[in-house]
Amino acid sequence: MAAVATCGTGAGSTGSIAAAASKNNVTSFQRKGPRASGTDSGCSRLVSIAGTRPSVRNGQLLVSTGLPALDQLLGGGLAVGTVLLIEEDKYNIYSSLVFKYFLAEGIINGHTLLVASAKEDPADILQELPAPLLDDNCKKDFDEDVCNDKTPDSNIKMKIAWRYQLLPKMESGPVSSSRFGHYYDASKRMPQELIEASKWHGFFFPEKLSSTLNIESCSLTHGYRKLLQFIQNVIYEEGFDGSSPQKKQKNILRIGIQSLGSPLWGDDICCTENCDNSHSLTKFLYVLRGLLRTSLSACIITMPTHLIQNKAVIARVTNLSDTVVGLESFIGSERETNPLYKDYHGLIHIRQIPRLNNLIYDVSDVKDLAFKLKRKLFTIERLHLPPDLSDTVSRSSKQDLAESSKLLGPGCGMMAGGKKHLDF
Amino acid sequence: MESVLALGGFVLLRDSVEWEGRSLLKALIKKSALCGEQVHILGCEVSEDEFREGFDSSINSRLIYHDLFRDPLNWSQTGEALPGGPLGALQAMCRRTHPGPVTIALDSLSWLLLHIPCTALCQALGALSRQHAHPGGGSPAEPVRVLGLFHEELHGPGPLGALSSLAQTEVTLSGTMGQASAHILSRRPRQRPAHQTQWFSILPDFSLDLQGGPPLESQPHADPHTAPVDPTAHVTFNLHLSKKEREAKDSLTLPFQFSSEKQQALLRAGPSQATSHIFYEPDAYDDLDQEDPDDDLDV
Repeated sequence: MAAVATCGTGAGSTGSIAAAASKNNVTSFQRKGPRASGTDSGCSRLVSIAGTRPSVRNGQLLVSTGLPALDQLLGGGLAVGTVLLIEEDKYNIYSSLVFKYFLAEGIINGHTLLVASAKEDPADILQELPAPLLDDNCKKDFDEDVCNDKTPDSNIKMKIAWRYQLLPKMESGPVSSSRFGHYYDASKRMPQELIEASKWHGFFFPEKLSSTLNIESCSLTHGYRKLLQFIQNVIYEEGFDGSSPQKKQKNILRIGIQSLGSPLWGDDICCTENCDNSHSLTKFLYVLRGLLRTSLSACIITMPTHLIQNKAVIARVTNLSDTVVGLESFIGSERETNPLYKDYHGLIHIRQIPRLNNLIYDVSDVKDLAFKLKRKLFTIERLHLPPDLSDTVSRSSKQDLAESSKLLGPGCGMMAGGKKHLDF
Repeated sequence: MESVLALGGFVLLRDSVEWEGRSLLKALIKKSALCGEQVHILGCEVSEDEFREGFDSSINSRLIYHDLFRDPLNWSQTGEALPGGPLGALQAMCRRTHPGPVTIALDSLSWLLLHIPCTALCQALGALSRQHAHPGGGSPAEPVRVLGLFHEELHGPGPLGALSSLAQTEVTLSGTMGQASAHILSRRPRQRPAHQTQWFSILPDFSLDLQGGPPLESQPHADPHTAPVDPTAHVTFNLHLSKKEREAKDSLTLPFQFSSEKQQALLRAGPSQATSHIFYEPDAYDDLDQEDPDDDLDV
């Protein structure tokens, strides 16, 4: 989308010449200049930018989210020019980790980062990024991780379905041939020299506020307005929207906004149900999406949707974002002790996948997904639920199991609903 | 309970009508004062004399009391009241830069929530907790502890959720049979939150007496009315195998059973098969005599 547009306007002549050359293959006219054909085969019109690849389905330019498992679920990666909204888990442990993976992937690929937060200083966030696993070590470590994980299970070798021993549970494993997604070691920090070599812009909201906390300055659109202006300035000055065509190397801007909608941004949708400026957040998302669509950038936003009191706002926010992924961790909930979930750390819900230049969704047919965070690997696997047993046999323990295995969406009636299954 | 004071940041004390939290707040203040820290108190709900009651003079001399109770709206215009109202008082605390660890006690966040918007309070609390990271003189991190008393029955889930998400430690007061307990949830950054339940009682001089467990005469757990039904009883098929049956099952040869070499070869050479192998394993009825093709026709 965005890449083709900028290619068309900015480097159009180069692109068309290269396209003509590839079609005819006989011309001797060699244009001097940046060669438009990159390493992507068959897409000589697209400018090749480090860390991106075209989607195999519709040619859309994709960037990696930092988690190869999540990339696969989203259809190859996150499309450039779109918003990835992460609904935070209750204690904000795994969502901040996903946020950091996204930023770390940007540093590894050499993208420019823009980190906005109202809670932590962006410099501190960057210090805590996970270290990347390099190719030569990671295969060995991954194998040992897999072995440790498999030893309790592999004692039961399958007798009848033995061919399925080779089948992976979900696509897991470092794909060493491609350099698209990288693996990170959550226990180590990213080396300082990589962080310093990268280009990043930070937006720390309490610093941008004036030093006196007036009540007027806590008005809702103030923080969002400042953030939008900041993003727009960075996009314009650095030329991510093609405004300065003599830039030699196109790059992607990765924007990360942490805990949008929390009261620290000055927004009270988490505090009350009928708030005065309930449209402030939705306006922000709308304008942000417009900014992103006209520039080579990708954005990740984490939002504490479990705190938002008005459910209609959550629905609006979901509609205004492109890709929405919800994380639900088992910490502190009754599911932690449930034997069904003992291998996993939480559930992951893919709430929305965008249709970009497309009529069909790219969604996988697997809806029950759970994630677990091992030290070096964040895996997302299919959750196997027990069979749904009928209502006629009354059993207290099995009923709790079947009930808690139902996936709870934000809009469904929670445990307050009756315990009986409805049979029509 | 030591973990409550050990971690810096914002501590949310949730109390209710049955289990009041001001005495615990005063006990924690006393503990910090005895450690030699500076203690600032923003008193809104009770008068200064009532708050200072029960502390001995050495502790009272260490407490710096900012009184919002007597004249919150500054009607008396005597200049004694804190300028700027409640929000101004909070900002003044943010700006104060003194060396050494500091404890700030907010006597009631509920009172503050009634007078200033929730977002302003959250931002002020964030600024207060962050103060140790950016001190005026560039000294290393001095812990700033903010103890906030919150009457959770006065508020809906919104402010409670917003304040809990900001809190590094959340202490919920409850109890049984006259014995108070504190459920402590501590959220260290980037680690799993830790739950702990601590039974305690507060002595008249506001020192904490930690107890090991719940009181001795705790009532027995009520049995459910329905005994759990075993679903595996009265089924028409056999769910459990005896040892002989299991052996018979294991020794059964399955159809299409391959020899183990073939199985291993198939498993190993799964994705990439450079050459194709032919594995021939004669069936029980296979005739190896190549000359007579009709030998197995049983004619």
